[in-house]
Amino acid sequence: MSPEIFFQIFVNGLFTGGIYALTAVGLTLIYGVMIIVNFAHGEFLMLGIYIAFWGFTLFGIDPYLVIPIAFLLMFAFGALIQRGLVQRVLDAHPLNQIVLLVGVSTLLVGVVQFFFSAEPKAMHVSYETAVITLWGLRLSIARLVAFFASLLISLLLYLFLKFTRTGKAIRAVSQSRDAARLMGINVNFIYALTFGIGTAITAVAGVLLAPNHRLIPTMGQAYSVIAFVVVVLGTMGNFIGAFLGGLIIGVVEAYAGFYLGGDVKIIASMLIFILILLFRPAGLFGRKNT
Amino acid sequence: MTRDTSTRISIGSLRNWLSAVLSDWDRTQMTLCYLLVFILALSPLFIKSTYYLGIIILTVIYAFIGISWNIVAGFTGQLLIAHIIFLATGSYTTIVLYNTYGITPWVGLLASGVVAGLLGVVVAFITLRYGLKMDYFALFTIALMVAMRTLFLKWDFVGGAVGMWFRLIDISFSNMIFKTKIPYLYIALGLLLIGLIVQYSLYRSKIGNYLLAIREDDDAASALGVNTSFYKMMSVVIGAALAGVGGGFYIMYVTFVEPPQVFNLALNVEIVMAGPIIGGLGSLAGPLLGALLNKPFIEIVRGVLAGGRSGATLIVYGLFLISTVLFMPQGITGVMYRLYLKVINRFNGKAEEVS
Repeated sequence: MSPEIFFQIFVNGLFTGGIYALTAVGLTLIYGVMIIVNFAHGEFLMLGIYIAFWGFTLFGIDPYLVIPIAFLLMFAFGALIQRGLVQRVLDAHPLNQIVLLVGVSTLLVGVVQFFFSAEPKAMHVSYETAVITLWGLRLSIARLVAFFASLLISLLLYLFLKFTRTGKAIRAVSQSRDAARLMGINVNFIYALTFGIGTAITAVAGVLLAPNHRLIPTMGQAYSVIAFVVVVLGTMGNFIGAFLGGLIIGVVEAYAGFYLGGDVKIIASMLIFILILLFRPAGLFGRKNT
Repeated sequence: MTRDTSTRISIGSLRNWLSAVLSDWDRTQMTLCYLLVFILALSPLFIKSTYYLGIIILTVIYAFIGISWNIVAGFTGQLLIAHIIFLATGSYTTIVLYNTYGITPWVGLLASGVVAGLLGVVVAFITLRYGLKMDYFALFTIALMVAMRTLFLKWDFVGGAVGMWFRLIDISFSNMIFKTKIPYLYIALGLLLIGLIVQYSLYRSKIGNYLLAIREDDDAASALGVNTSFYKMMSVVIGAALAGVGGGFYIMYVTFVEPPQVFNLALNVEIVMAGPIIGGLGSLAGPLLGALLNKPFIEIVRGVLAGGRSGATLIVYGLFLISTVLFMPQGITGVMYRLYLKVINRFNGKAEEVS
């Protein structure tokens, strides 16, 4: 393999990994605060990409301008789901939590399929296939933008969690629900807020994918699975772990895709997933025993 | 569920028997199940349309597969979400044995149970050896499903991405291929009866107590001397083997298998999870009652309400799952149990019993 191809694959993987990272950060945030695995996570990404599609085909809005709209819409949606559904099963048996979220995921796929058909769609923006060449590497503009936007959004979220009062409150709740409540933090508000943020940034990841990605209502499942892989790899509930895990899985998948062929690349991440689950369930950044 | 064994003395052996049954919720449930099986067995007398018979057959298969999941998830509380891997393994075993080697499905179904059971041993061994619990276990099974789908897509021996049609040319009893649907119905009912009996005897035995103890509190059960690993593995293997047999029969009946169809979370919700959850996970009659509601209702939705649009059934399943968890986490049998207690208490004139 020539070095150009090697780096080309690396960069492609990194770009995909950016989206994975953003998705996984949303998932890990929700898990870290509520200790609940969001089995409907990929569907939030799917909704994001459909919002971009509707914005573009109905109103002619460029996907990148849809980002704030999608963020706000999906934030409200996520907060609503938390308030109305997830809040009620926080202390229930994990099986009930999973069944509820599988239900949400099934419902969302069903609604999108029912109203907008199960057929694959694409949105054909003018820069769909636009490419710039840099040091011999061909970089798709849409994916370049997606990568840096993911980076930026993750950074902003990190700073938000690190330095604002609300962010500190979120971290406090994730460390100890009861202690946080005793300190006067409105825990239920933090839950809704966190679920909203997690949902919103995942939807934004979907919007970022929109310019050159096929849309089908069932696409969420694959992203859910990837997000699970990434989050476990980077330690459940660990923000930076999820981000780095996303980039790692993106790159690994890119090389696996090159060597094994496109549809077998998922095997590589599944293999990593199973190995991590078996030998280091605490993930790369966790303590040895869970 | 509590096991109320108080009996009442009454005149006449039938009344005696009836009151003995009715004073015990487990036996009431089982009697209800047998009654339903009996009614289903009579259904060909009234229903001539092959379409409706087909729905009944699938309902029975769903109930059987529901039982297999109920033993793992309901009794033992294991988060084996992607239970469909066992069903898929069973379906591939049956179809490959018949198509490639000409082995009759009568043997094939047993082999499916064995192969799926072995997969169950592997899954249970891995998860127990490495102590995967709760969410991690659930994620592991889903990852396994995705990995298996990809492998089966590339595995030409089992048809790869093209899939496999069940060869229907030799119509004969020994090949388990029939002209009409009625023999299929009776075979399915036979399976269901076996499933019900296995489930009940497991539940009533000492093992059943161990499984329920593990569900309620894993560590406490272990501290009391229950070999939790052994019984967890046992429940996974029994569930897997039953699902394998069910999968083999299911695929014989639908006659076609391909990886995206069987290694599929939507089908998993439809065929494995919905029935027991609606009916009442961990209860004896739950899988059958759930399947009776699940399949016919979803066919009405698919045929009438949706008007050919896809997605309607998914909406219904989503709403089913969400509302069951929120409004009746014990399912239909939970509601029935509360009614039952009220009736029994009034009947006996006893003090309130705490459920």
